[in-house]
Amino acid sequence: MHKETPARWWATTGFRITLLHLALTLLGTLLLAGIGFWASSRFAVQQIQAEIERDAGVLLNAGRLGGPASIALSIEARIASDRSGTQYFLLSGPDGGRIAGNLAAAPRSAGWATMGLDAATDESVLLALGTPLPAGHFLLVGRDLAPVRDLESRLIGAAGWVGGAALLLALGGGLVIGRSVVRRAAQMERALAEVEQGRLNTRLVARPGGDEFDRLARRVNATLDRLAATMAALRQVTDDIAHDLRTPLTRLRQRLESLEGPEAEAAVAECDRILEIFAALLRIAQIESGARRAAFSNVDLHAVMETVAELYASAAAERGQALETDLAPGVTMQGDRDLLAQMLANLVENAIRHGREGGRVVLALRPGPEITVADDGPGIPDTEKPLVFRRFHRLDAARSTQGAGLGLALVAAVAELHGLAVTLEDASAASPPGLRVRLKA
Amino acid sequence: MRILLVEDDAGTAAEVARGLTGAGHLVNHVPDGRAGLMEAIGGGYDLLVVDRMLPGLDGLGVIRALRAAGVATPALMLTARAGLGDRVEGLDAGADDYLAKPFAFAELLARVHALGRRPPLNAEPSLLRVADLEMDLLRRSVTRGGQRIDLQPREFRLLEVLLRQAGRVVTRNMLLEQVWDIHFDPRTSVVETHISRLRAKLGEPSLIHTMRGAGYVARAPDA
Repeated sequence: MHKETPARWWATTGFRITLLHLALTLLGTLLLAGIGFWASSRFAVQQIQAEIERDAGVLLNAGRLGGPASIALSIEARIASDRSGTQYFLLSGPDGGRIAGNLAAAPRSAGWATMGLDAATDESVLLALGTPLPAGHFLLVGRDLAPVRDLESRLIGAAGWVGGAALLLALGGGLVIGRSVVRRAAQMERALAEVEQGRLNTRLVARPGGDEFDRLARRVNATLDRLAATMAALRQVTDDIAHDLRTPLTRLRQRLESLEGPEAEAAVAECDRILEIFAALLRIAQIESGARRAAFSNVDLHAVMETVAELYASAAAERGQALETDLAPGVTMQGDRDLLAQMLANLVENAIRHGREGGRVVLALRPGPEITVADDGPGIPDTEKPLVFRRFHRLDAARSTQGAGLGLALVAAVAELHGLAVTLEDASAASPPGLRVRLKA
Repeated sequence: MRILLVEDDAGTAAEVARGLTGAGHLVNHVPDGRAGLMEAIGGGYDLLVVDRMLPGLDGLGVIRALRAAGVATPALMLTARAGLGDRVEGLDAGADDYLAKPFAFAELLARVHALGRRPPLNAEPSLLRVADLEMDLLRRSVTRGGQRIDLQPREFRLLEVLLRQAGRVVTRNMLLEQVWDIHFDPRTSVVETHISRLRAKLGEPSLIHTMRGAGYVARAPDA
C-alpha cells in the first residue's frame, strides 16, 4: 500500500497554472506598456522636433529677409509671448557672444543635439537644432523636454495601475481555475485510493458531456469496469478450481480413511499434505490479489499476539524454550485478524523450530505498529538475508522447500497486504546471533 | 438424528450419507437447493447439512429462506471456500457452523453431533460434570473429587468446551475455533500440548481421551 502525502500547495497543478497565468499576464502587460510608452514618447518628441523645425524655419526666413537683427527681433518677440516657458533660443555672433535669446552659452554644433539646462534648480533637458548662419552667426532653437518626461512618468504610473489590476485579475482567475483543477484531481485521487484499498466497485464522478476531466473519469471508470470483470472472472476460476479439485480430493480422502492399515494412514497423510499445499497456494494467491483488503477491520494486535503467544507457549515449553512477550497495550491496525494471526503463528513456529533448545523466543509489539519475533538460533548469514527475502516471494522456491517455504511466502504475502515491511536482522551480537524478523508499517 | 443432506456432488453426498448412516443417523439426500428448501421447510429434521455451492438456489439462499420462514433447524454449511468473509457471510445467513472442504469425516461427524445436541439457549447448564470432575460455570471453579484445581482462564475455557460436549468427539479445529478464535490449522501440534498440560493438572485417571485422527473426548475412564 502506498501512502500519499497530501499535496503541498506549491506542488499542485492549480498553483502552477496560477503562476503561469500570472507570468503570462505580467509579460503581456509589460509588453503592452513598453510599446505604448515607446510609441507615445517617440510621438511626443517628434511633435517637439516638428515645432522646433517650424520655429527654426520661420527665424531663418526672417534672417534671409532682414539679417541677424531681424532674427534677434523675432526671437525676443517669441520669448515674450511664450507662456509655457519651454522655448529656448540663442543667436550668437561670429565671436560666440550672445546677440539674442534666453540661453547663456551653447556648443555651436550643427544639427540635432540634447543638452542640459545650466540652471541647478531645473533638471530639464533641452532638445535643440543648431543652424550655422552666413557670416559666422549661429542660431540654436530648442525646446524643454520636460513635458515629454512628464508624459513618460504619467505613462509609467498608468502602466503600473493597469498592470497591478491585471495581475490581481490574473491571480483571481488562476486561483479559480487552479482550485477547480485541484478539486477534481483530489476527487479522482480519493476514488482511486479507495480502489487501491481493494474497493473495486468505487467509480469516479463523470458528468454527462462535461470537460476533459469528465472524459478522463469515464475512461478510468471503463478501465475499472474491465478490472472488476477480470477480478470477478479470476475469483470465479479460483472458486471453480477450489470446488472442482477439492471435492474429488475430499472424496479420495474419505475413501482412504475407510481403509485399514499403516499404508492407508500414510496415504491419508499424503492426501492431507496435497490439500494443505493446495490450500496455502490458493490462500497466497487470494491474499496477493488484495481482495481481502475490502474486509479489513480494526484489529487489536496486542490481543492477537497474546493469543498466539499463549497458543504456542506450551509447544515452546516442550523444547525447553521460554516464549516471552513484550507487548505494548492498545496497539491496533487496519487488517484481517485471521491472516495476521496466521502470519504471527508462522513466525513463532519458525522461531521455535530454529531457536536453541532451552533458549528463548521473544515476541514484541511497539506502537507504529512494529512487530518483532526473535529467536536465539543459528540465525542467517548477512550475505544470505536478502536471498531469503527473495525466496519469500518466489512460489517455485517455496514449493521446493516444502511447508516452511510456503509458511514464509504466506508471511511475506500477508505483510505486503497490510503494508508492513519485513526485515531480517541478527537478534544479538552474541554467538549464535539468532534471527529477528521485524515487521514495520 | 434425522439429517437432511443438500449436496450436488453425488460422490461426496454418497460418502457423507454412508458415514452418517453408519453412525446411526437417518439421512435423506437432495441434490439441489430448491428441493432442499422444499424438504426442510416442513421442519421434520434434526439437522441440515448444506453445501454452499449448489445449482440454482445456493446454500446461503436456502438457509436464509428457511430462517425467514421461521425454521430454526440447526444447519452446518459445507464449502470449498473458507475465507473469513465467506465464513462470516455463512454465519450471518443463519448457518450454525461452517466446515471447509476438504474435511476429515471425523470432523464432520463431531460437528454434526455438537450441533444436533446443542441445548436450547435458555437452558444453559451452570454445572458440568464428568465422573468426579465438576466445573461450576458461575463460580468459575473446577474440582475433582472435591479437591479444588486451579486453571488458567484459557485452560478453563478448553475444559469447558470439552465438558459441554462430554462423551462426544471434539476435533482439534473445533477447539482452535472455540478456545482461541483461530481459524487455520497450525502445523505444530499446539492443541496436543495444551491438552497434555490440562490432563496433567486434572490428574489420574485421565478424563480427556485422544481419539486418533479425530480429536478428543471427555468421559469417565471406564466408559
